[in-house]
Amino acid sequence: MEILDKLKILADAAKYDVSCSSSGSSRKNKKGGLGNSHISGICHSWSDDGRCISLLKILFTNYCIYDCAYCVNRSSNDIPRAMFSPEEMVNLTVNFYRRNYIEGLFLSSAIYKSPSYTMELLLKTVKTLREKNFNGYIHLKAIPGADLNIMREAGKHVDRMSVNIELPSNNGLKLLAPQKSKEHIIKPMGLISSKIVENVSERKLYKNSDKFVPAGQSTQLIVGATPDKDLNILTLSESLYERFNLKRVYYSAYVPVSKHPNLPQISTPPLLREHRLYQADWLLRFYGFKSQELLDSKNPNFDIHFDPKCNWAIRNLHLFPVEINRADYEMLLRIPGIGIKSAKKIISARRVGPINYDNLKKIGAVLKRAKYFITCQGKYYGETKFNEDNIKNSLLANSSDKLNITQGEQLSLFSLYPNLLPLPDILTKITGEL
Amino acid sequence: MMCYIYDGSFEGLLTAIYETYYRKEHPNKILSITDYEKSFLYKDVFIDTDPNKSDKVYNSIKTKISNQTLKHVFHAFVSENEDSGTWIYNYLRLGWKVGKKLDLHLTDDRVLAIHNITRKVSREIHYMQGLLRFRKIKNDVFYAPFEPQFNIVGLLASHFANRMSDQNWIIHDVKRDIGVLYNQEEWVITNINLKGDITFAEDEEFYQKLWKEYFKNIAIKNRINPKLQKSNMPMKYWKYLIEKN
Repeated sequence: MEILDKLKILADAAKYDVSCSSSGSSRKNKKGGLGNSHISGICHSWSDDGRCISLLKILFTNYCIYDCAYCVNRSSNDIPRAMFSPEEMVNLTVNFYRRNYIEGLFLSSAIYKSPSYTMELLLKTVKTLREKNFNGYIHLKAIPGADLNIMREAGKHVDRMSVNIELPSNNGLKLLAPQKSKEHIIKPMGLISSKIVENVSERKLYKNSDKFVPAGQSTQLIVGATPDKDLNILTLSESLYERFNLKRVYYSAYVPVSKHPNLPQISTPPLLREHRLYQADWLLRFYGFKSQELLDSKNPNFDIHFDPKCNWAIRNLHLFPVEINRADYEMLLRIPGIGIKSAKKIISARRVGPINYDNLKKIGAVLKRAKYFITCQGKYYGETKFNEDNIKNSLLANSSDKLNITQGEQLSLFSLYPNLLPLPDILTKITGEL
Repeated sequence: MMCYIYDGSFEGLLTAIYETYYRKEHPNKILSITDYEKSFLYKDVFIDTDPNKSDKVYNSIKTKISNQTLKHVFHAFVSENEDSGTWIYNYLRLGWKVGKKLDLHLTDDRVLAIHNITRKVSREIHYMQGLLRFRKIKNDVFYAPFEPQFNIVGLLASHFANRMSDQNWIIHDVKRDIGVLYNQEEWVITNINLKGDITFAEDEEFYQKLWKEYFKNIAIKNRINPKLQKSNMPMKYWKYLIEKN
């Protein structure tokens, strides 16, 4: 088979993988070598769905022995199959890299013959790349169920390793991916995280020892293929961040790729839900929130009208309004409309003089949300009474989220899974940064 | 009202700023000769570039204010904005008053003007680190034409010299006829005047075809979103993208 045809099939098969991030590693180039990595990552293009292309995201092969219901590559699916050789893969990566098409390689694979056999092939590819003095970014998918020794070896060559958790609950796995088990997924995660910790202390003693997965590990799970609630998903992410020190959890709105009695029938992917999960995920990682603050058993799913932070603020009005000139950094971060950049700028600007309302706009705070929750030099600018209903209404009235939730035609879906609300395009920015 | 006019070089601008202090004058505008138009409203003062004077200003920014400020000044300069000279002058005047803390004055218009323009310049540099496309031409040279809004070709050089250290390459700012040449050891900025067609290396078309095919297949059809694509990747940069032509 021609390389071009292989590329077509195997890029197409890899497109549902969400991660494309190339950040977190600062691997340097070696003398006479090719490539390095940029600490904040670089996007090289944006595909027609608006997602960034940073890495050459591709499957080694889509021949699969597994038959997971939600997956296009399941063995029972009648689709064209292809397989690269390690040499072809290396050649393609290097030639794309030299033309500045990509930041590196994101290599994943379906399970060919056996998990360990597949993992060997992936290891051979990344090893050859490094032997050829390629120092660009490599993200490798660890194959669940493969020999841990092969994974350990592969970790020495790559910048990031990830194991897909696929579905948010064990029940979901049983239902849709009966050949995969939670244990097979959690085990390599544990291995990678303990090796990273070990490697960090090792490198304190021996500076020259190889880095082990310097950009950390990540995972991804599919949202909307099982009846799991947002609360379950968010608590899962939180525990992954805490227990395994994951860098990222990616959420992927379930795209209907097959018909199966265990799968929900939806017309469009639940993009808004995915968007809300990402917003909440950011709150966990950078804003000091806990999942329990954002959702609880009474409200197990996110509100469609308000972003998670706004929603939290409205439910905790007793903490507001906050005086911009006095609040500490942690509290500034909790104000809707104020992000990390503007919170830092507020702290900086406060060191040389007080901040008034006009200044806030210049700094870049989103006042149309923030104004209801702050005072500037003692004055409230919300233009409404400070109570829950008024603030909610004002926020809704000038909300720029154009969510035209058309009711009626989608009602049939509620009966099956109430969380699967297909909605028009929502900007979900999945950038290469962070 | 008074207007200082410098020769368009960075040294020229710094010399002009030196003269304002030396002559104890406060020009309302500092303009590059390329943006200058005779106006009877202004008294024009032409400044002769003097490396000794510009060095003094350069060092003074570094020691009396900060390296960060120096970077801001240079990035504002390469923006080639007509007002950048004046903005830099006002920004630095405040800087010599408040010292190291200059860039904390985020609510001051003089600082804001500079930060706004340098944010745009930095963004374009970051964009170009990703969107620049090399084409392999004969003799194994990799050639990347582009037309950036700002004059940033020199600011891209070290990134690509580190990254593509084992290949010969040329980055060509087609709009300004300047470029960076790199020979696996060092890079130089020079004028480039290309005449005639460029001959691609033998395998170039093959990889371009592969890349286009990859680009087409990596998009999820149920999620096609041209608006998001354009907001992430402004159309002004599409001209030299292999995958968009």
